[in-house]
Amino acid sequence: MRDEIQDYADRPKRYDNIDGTGEMFMGLMLLGFALEGCLEAKLPENSSRWMHGLVIYGVMIPVLAFGYWIRRVIKKHITWPRTGYAAFPRDGKSWWIAMLAVFLVAIVLGLGLAFLTGFARRHHAMSLPGIVMLASFVVVYGFWIFRMGREYPWKWLVLLLMALGLLAIGLPVRGDYFQVGRQVALFVGLAWLGSGAGTLYSYIRHTQPPASEAE
Amino acid sequence: MNEQLRAISELDRVIHEPGRLMIVALLWAVKECDFLYLLHETEMNKGNLSSHLAKLEAAGYVEIEKTYRGKVPMTLLRLTRKGRTAFDEYRKGLKAAF
Repeated sequence: MRDEIQDYADRPKRYDNIDGTGEMFMGLMLLGFALEGCLEAKLPENSSRWMHGLVIYGVMIPVLAFGYWIRRVIKKHITWPRTGYAAFPRDGKSWWIAMLAVFLVAIVLGLGLAFLTGFARRHHAMSLPGIVMLASFVVVYGFWIFRMGREYPWKWLVLLLMALGLLAIGLPVRGDYFQVGRQVALFVGLAWLGSGAGTLYSYIRHTQPPASEAE
Repeated sequence: MNEQLRAISELDRVIHEPGRLMIVALLWAVKECDFLYLLHETEMNKGNLSSHLAKLEAAGYVEIEKTYRGKVPMTLLRLTRKGRTAFDEYRKGLKAAF
């Protein structure tokens, strides 16, 4: 019975992403990083730090603002009229604990991969920080599915696709792994965005606004 | 009476009813929500849900606010401090009982 109570107490956390807006926001943020990386790469080599800063903030602030706005619009016009409104308290402590847990798991997974394959280090195909960075993207998404998207089994396929895609992007790279940061951000961003759009589509298909006033 | 039986007998009966327990557990995890959200999450009918909410309000565990979103009437619900404490105590009691 205690587990059922905990399950009910955890349901609102999953409800926050019932419409896929959380995933879409993450996807947009990563696409913003990809765009920002592209623009930064086009800057002349002797560009000042201010110029780099301008590109970063000039891209990321509008992207995050757009992500916030679109999330709000979807909630207001689609989610709240169909399945109701819920506001969540911001518990900073549990957020940081979750992030730390994800980071630690990613490190362990990355180290495990590196030692198991041996391939990476012998051929200098993937650096250890690179593996950790790639693994962390997969772990974050996996953690997200576990917490938020258990109702959608197809998301495990997205996770598999993400892992294979990252491997395909990362394996051919030699030397400095962060060169492929833009490709990784673009790929993972599109995967998150696609996953969120799939969730929204499924949500709209399976829910209807109540015929009359709820109360 | 042994300790476990005493713990069971001391459980808050307002919360212990399964329907109300569901409502309180859901409200415990949110800052506030509307009637439609509870209707969707609990899968109760409107009459049942209203009746449970009235009992929780009478016990001082739930605060009910009638308001509007645009022109649409909306019933906002939140757990009071007393309700939050009662739910925490209930969970402790349940843990002690089992």
